[in-house]
Amino acid sequence: MHTHCPYCSLQCGMTLQREGRRLEVAAWPEFPVNEGGLCRKGWTATGLRGHRERLTTPMLRDRTTGELRAAGWDEALDLVASRLQELQQESGADAVGVFGGGGLTNEKAYSLGKLARVALRTSQVDYNGRWCMSSAASASNQAFGIDRGLPFPLADLERAEVLVLVGSNLAETMPPAVRHLDRLRERGGRVVVVDPRRTPTADRADVLLQPVPGTDLALALGVLHLLDARGLADEAYLAARTTGWDDVRRVAAAWWPERVERVTGVTVGELHALVDLLTSHERVVVLTARGAEQHAQGTATVLGWIDVALALGLPGRPHAGYGCLTGQGNGQGGREHGQKSDQLPGYRMIDDPAAREHVARVWGVDPDDLPGPGRSAYELLDALGRPDGPRALLVLGSNPVVSAPRAAHVADRLRSLDLLVVCDLVMSETAALADVVLPVTQWAEETGTMTNLEGRVILRQQAVAPPAGVRSDLEVIAGLAQRLGSPVPFSDDPEEVFAELGRASAGGRADYAGIDYDRIREEHGVFWPCPSPDHPGTPRLFADAFAHPDGRARLVAVDHVGTAEPTDAAYPVHLTTGRVLAQYQSGAQTRRIADLPDTGAFVELHPSLADRLGAYDGEPVAVTTRRGRLVAPARVVDTIRPDTVFVPFHWVGVNQLTNDALDPSSRMPEFKVCAAQVEAVARAARPSPGEPVEVAR
Amino acid sequence: MSGTVVVGSGMAALRLVERLVERGHRDLTLLGDEPHAPYNRILLSAVLEGTHRPEALELRPAGWYATHGVALRTGTRAAALDLDAREVELVDGERVGYRTLVLATGSIPTLPPIRGMVRMDGTLHPAVHAFRTLADCRRLDEAVAGSRRAVVVGGGLLGLQVARALSVRGLQVEVVEGGEHLLRSQVGPAAGRILARDLRRLGTSTYTGARAVRLVTEHGEAGADVDGDGDGAVGLRLDNGYTLPTDLVVLTAGGRPSVALARAAGLDVRRGVVVDAQLRTSDASVHAIGDCAEHDGRLTGFVAPAWEQAELLASHLSGDDVTHTGSRTVARLRATGLDVAVLGDPEGARTLPGSEVVEVTNPLQGSHRSLVVRDRVVVAAELVGDLSRVGLITQHYDRGTVLGPHEPGHLLLGPPRPPVPGGTVADLADEAEVCTCAGVAAGAVRRCSSLEEVVERTRATTGCGGCAPDVRQLLAARPSLTA
Repeated sequence: MHTHCPYCSLQCGMTLQREGRRLEVAAWPEFPVNEGGLCRKGWTATGLRGHRERLTTPMLRDRTTGELRAAGWDEALDLVASRLQELQQESGADAVGVFGGGGLTNEKAYSLGKLARVALRTSQVDYNGRWCMSSAASASNQAFGIDRGLPFPLADLERAEVLVLVGSNLAETMPPAVRHLDRLRERGGRVVVVDPRRTPTADRADVLLQPVPGTDLALALGVLHLLDARGLADEAYLAARTTGWDDVRRVAAAWWPERVERVTGVTVGELHALVDLLTSHERVVVLTARGAEQHAQGTATVLGWIDVALALGLPGRPHAGYGCLTGQGNGQGGREHGQKSDQLPGYRMIDDPAAREHVARVWGVDPDDLPGPGRSAYELLDALGRPDGPRALLVLGSNPVVSAPRAAHVADRLRSLDLLVVCDLVMSETAALADVVLPVTQWAEETGTMTNLEGRVILRQQAVAPPAGVRSDLEVIAGLAQRLGSPVPFSDDPEEVFAELGRASAGGRADYAGIDYDRIREEHGVFWPCPSPDHPGTPRLFADAFAHPDGRARLVAVDHVGTAEPTDAAYPVHLTTGRVLAQYQSGAQTRRIADLPDTGAFVELHPSLADRLGAYDGEPVAVTTRRGRLVAPARVVDTIRPDTVFVPFHWVGVNQLTNDALDPSSRMPEFKVCAAQVEAVARAARPSPGEPVEVAR
Repeated sequence: MSGTVVVGSGMAALRLVERLVERGHRDLTLLGDEPHAPYNRILLSAVLEGTHRPEALELRPAGWYATHGVALRTGTRAAALDLDAREVELVDGERVGYRTLVLATGSIPTLPPIRGMVRMDGTLHPAVHAFRTLADCRRLDEAVAGSRRAVVVGGGLLGLQVARALSVRGLQVEVVEGGEHLLRSQVGPAAGRILARDLRRLGTSTYTGARAVRLVTEHGEAGADVDGDGDGAVGLRLDNGYTLPTDLVVLTAGGRPSVALARAAGLDVRRGVVVDAQLRTSDASVHAIGDCAEHDGRLTGFVAPAWEQAELLASHLSGDDVTHTGSRTVARLRATGLDVAVLGDPEGARTLPGSEVVEVTNPLQGSHRSLVVRDRVVVAAELVGDLSRVGLITQHYDRGTVLGPHEPGHLLLGPPRPPVPGGTVADLADEAEVCTCAGVAAGAVRRCSSLEEVVERTRATTGCGGCAPDVRQLLAARPSLTA
């Protein structure tokens, strides 16, 4: 049975085979994105099957004792529906919020948004994709008029001459993608990595730039400055295919190399060398990922790098252009079909009357009955239990107690709810706070489509029967909709839902109308837009025109402002967060898989900083920010800037440190940098300072 | 009557206006005596060098000013301030009223006392050039074409930049510096000597401790060259007796705050226009920022602090409670082939009580680097000839990072190196991880006989593929069964 990995946006193809009672992962060499390769997360993906922590019965909390007890499905769903209705009668439709995830299939994301708008009629729906690639989404929409992570198949990278990775550590976060980089380099191409850490990805790069966290935009402005100063911008392309260059170059005029050096720490010589490299090749690709995007200036940062790509005349040319390496498994599709607070299916905007008209017709409701835009993810969580905020929240495919910024505060907001309902496979940290926990199917137990980082719609197929007592998210949504007295029916059959999604998306920016399950099986996935069954899909965008009405791309003038929380005397170190190879997101799945090493959180710091603090490799250090404190073992490595510490966020406590300052456009929190104080814990019984510092490799 | 009037249209003036526009202010007037819209003055030497297109100097598109409620009046010179009437009088007699006046008049080049340099009519001799404005830059640029030799008077930052620019353009350049070493306002003698050597290597001679005293032609003193038939060649006589034959003389001997308007109006002026922590002059409705302002006894002279003042003043004028506490300066030489960064005032800082100097000089490599450290904070630094660590040192300086006792040394010599893992791949312990993607240890690979078997049994090499060389080595080192 061909299917795809349950984790990241690469959505590696894999084969699931029954061997007796066991379910085995095997390669699917023909699938072009990963060609049979998988990382250890993929190889061990069946490890949650039959796991003793799998939830198999709905659980209800007795608020007087605080105990959870098992319940039947009807009892649980009846209770949820009646409580939601009571709360809405008391406090209005927006008293109920819905929180989805970027790991949900397209069908679930679509049904969840429809549940919110049609059955609950609440505007309060959003999802954790806001914390993934939303800054790149916002920037791409502004620049190109469309938001598809990559405008070309991933394998196109192999024929690029220069690849610039801004804030991506794909060798650890999506290892099978590295094959395409390796082939690029085997052909003589060059890879540039921009990252405050020398990551395993950087180890495979020809050029590493290690800017101060939060200064990637200043670096882009420095590149633009030199392009203009040296007359190296592609003026013919800019004149023919874009607007806005004049405003952009004027902002860049104030970013001369020495100023960029002072702000970013990237030296004048390094900047000139980068520009020399970019301008001496035709086929250059610029890719951003979370490192550039998860900032209060994340959208502006991505726009700055898109400006670089446009000034070089790249987008729309073969094996060249700009793209975003989306993070979550369905980060792409999850943002297209209506679980986002301001959007309807097909990437339609909810405040667009024509969009409302179209979607309402497909749904069989009056467009005037659809709510307007609601709060973004963090703002929604921050509003929970407040006088004007939701009193109940329904959570699917998300674990915000671990993944939200300023997570202790978010947990407090969740505790203040009248009703928290969580659908999950296991008792995640968020489920543990819930009044009602609903056990749902996982990956191999259900069917549905995902849209990978390339915009390729792929099909995950059910390989095994779910455990008794477990229902799919679609069944939960349909069951609730019916109990809530939805004016229209909800299907719980994924293929039926996908067909409806196709109709709802028809004519929208992300048009799936021509895609069906059989085509996906036959064609190794189909790239959207695909408006009709005889349309071949669209692997490559922008060859002739961009998606704005005039066909031109927009260069948007953006300026570097700096991070929301600069370092100071009390919090003198930059804290940045990220991921490790063996874990995925909040770790609810991967931390429970025995074959994946679960190290717990750790603090990477440079030998110079360790020496200053009297910290030793493997011994505990405390990281404190204005929002929280974490004690974890030190990893002393010379791969990180001496003014920065890194902590992977897969474990509870790490995001209690991070900053909830939001990007004005994407509403992305500033996960990637905040000000921290770092100290060695239990200083007693240590060698005196000045003895050699131990370093881990 | 205008709301806010800014005298000056340089970089500080524009930054102020940009920030005021962002804060919703309208009714703003910029009075600039240069004929151009605001441009990036600090890149003029790069324009001269030919590495920066002059069209790329402009800081805002032409249409920006009008669309944001800014009246930009170029070629407009203020003649006087009438503080009582709150008016600026222009040279043509027009009077411009203001509610708030900001002086951003910048500085004017100091002209050294060289006989024959200024002609009877008060203009500079055709071979003599100042280098402050875009017009100066264009005039010099035009003169470069017909010239072979140039003498730069003044061995400071600007002088060295101009000297290198002219040298890159193919001229034979000499630098005359009255002080005992180059960059004497920024660095100590050791760094200055390194610089002189670098310049010599690049083909430029320097004369330090020497003053230019007279401009001469073959007919005698240049001012007396009434027939003006010379080929442009002149000589610059120094007080040590040398005469340097040259086609061009460029004056880069520093500048002084432009304070004439303020002084004539009776504002408190010392070296610059005296301002308080809200950048107010002695008249509460008049502010001053940038090179013309003197705060706490200090002048700035660089663009970064001028911008900080502009941003602070914009906040103050928008009603925020803000206080100017002075700025940190980083002077960075922009000249091909010369690597210099000066953080703060190293010469002044090293003599203060409690200062320690950490210094590395390598004359063989042509580098001199020193950090002035007080209370474990880098308070100043000079870096010449080796800027490999400038990024991090600047971060620590700008942020006032309290360093550990070994860190200043690390900053100059490199951090402690991690131990190199001993032995080869073949020596790895069985439990050592070889493939991170699949989590495969060396022992598991050793139990296989071929790469195909490794792939089949362990899945090593099938993720990112980075471990393939190590796996091959492990397989090759397996004890042969037939041996």
